[in-house]
Amino acid sequence: MIHRDPHPDEAGPAIKVHVTQGESHVSADPSVVMTTVLGSCIAACLRDPTTGIGGMNHFLLPDTGGRANNDNGDAVRYGAYAMELLINGLLKKGARRDRLEAKIFGGGKLFDGLSDVGASNAAFAERFLRDEGIPIVSSSTGGLSARRVEFWPASGRVRQRLVAVDNAPMEVRRPAPMPVPAAHSGELELF
Amino acid sequence: MPQASTISVLVVDDQLTMRALIRNALQQIGFKDIREAPDGEEALKNLLAKPANLVISDFNMPKMDGLALLRAVRSHPPIRQTAFVMLTGRADRELVQRAVQFGVNNYCVKPFTVQGLKEKIEQVFGQLT
Repeated sequence: MIHRDPHPDEAGPAIKVHVTQGESHVSADPSVVMTTVLGSCIAACLRDPTTGIGGMNHFLLPDTGGRANNDNGDAVRYGAYAMELLINGLLKKGARRDRLEAKIFGGGKLFDGLSDVGASNAAFAERFLRDEGIPIVSSSTGGLSARRVEFWPASGRVRQRLVAVDNAPMEVRRPAPMPVPAAHSGELELF
Repeated sequence: MPQASTISVLVVDDQLTMRALIRNALQQIGFKDIREAPDGEEALKNLLAKPANLVISDFNMPKMDGLALLRAVRSHPPIRQTAFVMLTGRADRELVQRAVQFGVNNYCVKPFTVQGLKEKIEQVFGQLT
C-alpha cells in the first residue's frame, strides 16, 4: 500500500524558487516551494487544484499618485500584464482557467509619508481576480509589516511569516523602483 | 488623414480586464466602433459575420490563439485585407517573426501605453485625427 503523505511537499529536500519583483514562476513539482518577501508588493499564488499546477507572481503597480485603480491608467495595464503572464504560464503547463483559485499576500504600508501604494496594489489584485472569475480562497493584505511567504504549488499550502519593518530584508525596507510600462514596443522593425 | 472614429475595431483577448483596458485606450485615441471577442474562434465568427477594419489581438488564448486567428483571417478572401495588430509579451521575439511571415501589420508589446498603441496603429493607417 502506498502511503500518501498529507503534506507531500514536506517530504524530501525542497527545491526553493525565490520569486522577485516582476517575476512569475509556475510548477507542479511537489518538491518545489516558491518563496518571496513582500512589502508594498503583491504576490498572487494561483493554482489548479485538480492538476496541482500552481504559480506565484510578485508585482508592484507603478505609483500614479493615488490613481492606481483608475481603469485607464498605466498602472492597471502593468498589473493586468503581470497577472496575465502568470495565468498564461499556468495554462501552458496544463492548468484549466475555470478551475483556478487564488491566494494573495502583501500590499503592506511600510513607509510613513508615502501614498498607500500597498492598498492600491491589493485593491487591484482583488478586483482583477473578481472580474476574471478567479475565486480568492485566502488572503493576507495590508498592515504595517513585511511578509515572508512560502507557497507549495503542488499542494496549495502557504506559510506566511510577518516581519517587523526593522528586521525586514533591504529589498522591502527601501521603496522598490517603480516599473515602467513599455514606452517602446520591441526591437523588431516592421516599418 | 483617417479619422479614428470611422475605423471599426475588433479586440481579441481572453482576459476581460485586458479587453476593457484595450477598449479604454482605443476610446482615448478616438475610436468609437469597438467590438470584443474572448478567443480566436469567436473573433473569426465575428469577422465573417461583420468585417472590421482593424483587429487587435492577444497571442495566448484558448481554442484559437492569435497566430491561428491571423492565418485564418489572411486565408478568408472577404476579410483578408483586415489590418491586424498583435499584442505580445516582451520575450516573444520569435512569435513576432512568425506573425510577420503570416502577414501581421504591426505588433505592440504589453504592458503598452496609450501613446504607444496609437503609434502602432498610425504606422498602419497613417496619422489619425
